[in-house]
Amino acid sequence: SQASSVIKVPRNFRLLEELEEGQKGVGDGTVSWGLEDDEDIMLTRWTGMIIGPPRTIYENRMYSLKVECGPRYPESPPFVRFVTKINLNGVHNSNGVVDTRAVAALAKWQNSYSIRVVLQELRRLMMCKENMKLPQPPEGQVFSN
Amino acid sequence: MAENSGTDPTVDSNVVENAASDGTMIVVTVKTPKDKEEIAISEDSSVAQFKEEISKRFNAKQDQLVLIFAGKILKDGDTLNQHGIKDGLTVHLVIKTAPKATVGGTSQSSASSSGTPQANSSVNPSAAPNDSTTPGTGPTPTSTQPPNLLSGFGDLSSLSGMGMGSANFMEMQQQMQRQLMSNPEMLSQIMDNPLVQNMMSNPDLMRQMIVTNPQMQQLMERNPEISHMLNNPELMRQTMELARNPAMMQEMMRNQDRALSNLESIPGGYNALRRMYTDIQEPMFSAAREQFGNNPFSALGGNLDSGVQPSRTENREPLPNPWGPPGTTPSEIRGTGASTTTTTSAGGTAPSASNPLGINASGLGNGVFGSPGMQSLMQQISENPQLMQNMLSAPYMRSMMQSLAQNPDLASQVCTTSALSAQQQLMQQMLQMFAGGGGGSSTVTPEVRFQQQLDQLSAMGFINREANLQALIATGGDINAAIERLLGSQPS
Repeated sequence: SQASSVIKVPRNFRLLEELEEGQKGVGDGTVSWGLEDDEDIMLTRWTGMIIGPPRTIYENRMYSLKVECGPRYPESPPFVRFVTKINLNGVHNSNGVVDTRAVAALAKWQNSYSIRVVLQELRRLMMCKENMKLPQPPEGQVFSN
Repeated sequence: MAENSGTDPTVDSNVVENAASDGTMIVVTVKTPKDKEEIAISEDSSVAQFKEEISKRFNAKQDQLVLIFAGKILKDGDTLNQHGIKDGLTVHLVIKTAPKATVGGTSQSSASSSGTPQANSSVNPSAAPNDSTTPGTGPTPTSTQPPNLLSGFGDLSSLSGMGMGSANFMEMQQQMQRQLMSNPEMLSQIMDNPLVQNMMSNPDLMRQMIVTNPQMQQLMERNPEISHMLNNPELMRQTMELARNPAMMQEMMRNQDRALSNLESIPGGYNALRRMYTDIQEPMFSAAREQFGNNPFSALGGNLDSGVQPSRTENREPLPNPWGPPGTTPSEIRGTGASTTTTTSAGGTAPSASNPLGINASGLGNGVFGSPGMQSLMQQISENPQLMQNMLSAPYMRSMMQSLAQNPDLASQVCTTSALSAQQQLMQQMLQMFAGGGGGSSTVTPEVRFQQQLDQLSAMGFINREANLQALIATGGDINAAIERLLGSQPS
């Protein structure tokens, strides 16, 4: 909407909208997101899922993530962290935290972006030449935090 | 236990009547990256029960299904309720397969069949010492083949003389196609067979097979690019990988569709595309024609791009009329317009009300048209021109043709014989799809058939529907002729 750059949509409105979109499967079906805990009235902690893109080493795998929308969301970008172990440029090998500087959507965050945008961007990164063939840990492993 | 004791006023009023399930039925959309289905399920069911329904609908085994909702993977022991899955919401589905390829019936390959004794490929990799040289594929070497299948076939080149042209072979092929058409699962089984995968991973083998096919040879003559392609091992390998992985192929086709639709917007681009398409499609279908006797779609091809001259072939002989007795030219078909309706009059058998194409059924006996599948296809087409129109004008069809045109190695794949069966299957499915939309059954009243024309006539001001219908029937759906009739008989 053209007004989004002028009018600041209240945080909870935005997050409720994203919650609904997540439940209705808005998008192309390759990423999914939702509240980690349904009782979370602050709508802070979210889980995301990325389906590994075909023709990459990530194919057929499902990557679980944690996304945290702080009090200044959507003015500030969310914190994103992989739960499922992954070898991807921009993701810390030790704890799965996504480096804000490595992901364009986070580095140049705009308040019109959303959790979906971030997840889709991460998925796109998996398809980049520099990532698509990185050796991966066996399926099912998670980052220990 | 949806007991509704009258003493509880707060109970939900729409308790389901079905005693077998607990709770209300909800409709949940299940979405894969390619597909979308709506599944009705009781809201109290477990994820495992949900997966049962899904496995039926998507034709996949339950343990291959992974469900995701709102960013979480649904475990079998969970319930839909505990994840908050309610009516109208969407759940994402991923169908896992063990090795790389996803299970699907859309693979196009010249694969040999697995269990059926009637195979149309006649190569036994275990006979050749190729097993050890296959580049790093997982599947183990063969030897699970029934002995009657391939034993004794040593040399590849002798096979081309042996099986390809003979009548027996054709029959085998026909049977195989029939089976394939009736059982899409078989195709996926075929693909999963290690024998097939083994074969497909050996480029030399594949190349030999493709080259020895006489239709391919013709195609290669007309389109030198195809022979270049065949001689390029890298490309072959890529192509085979593609064929092995229907998911990849679909992705590729989709990417090409997108690229092509971008191309369309460039001025002159669409014409170039159509030219390309004719170049490839024509020889392809004429190659197919020789094997199958007749190809009605060649006439369609003519219809589609009347007015665009192919860039390569100088002399476009008119394609023979597939529906008329031998000797009639299809120039009438082409001439009667760029419209893709099949109500244009064809030469030969005079079009009647129920058979506007004048399909001479007896002329279609040979080749694969003998197979019941193809015949029913033709019948459907002949009796429901609306269907054809729908089918052709559908973006699906167009994009399929365009992507075939765009990708010559895909076209060459499609050319190989058993791939044609997959193609037919595809066409049949498409027809059925549009039959649903076009309301076509084998008994269609003229009113329904000429619905579109009737609407047009009434929009023009001819309000006498009866007269319109009569005129349309008399002219076989030709609006202009119908109008003349109407004007002639009705002084207005």
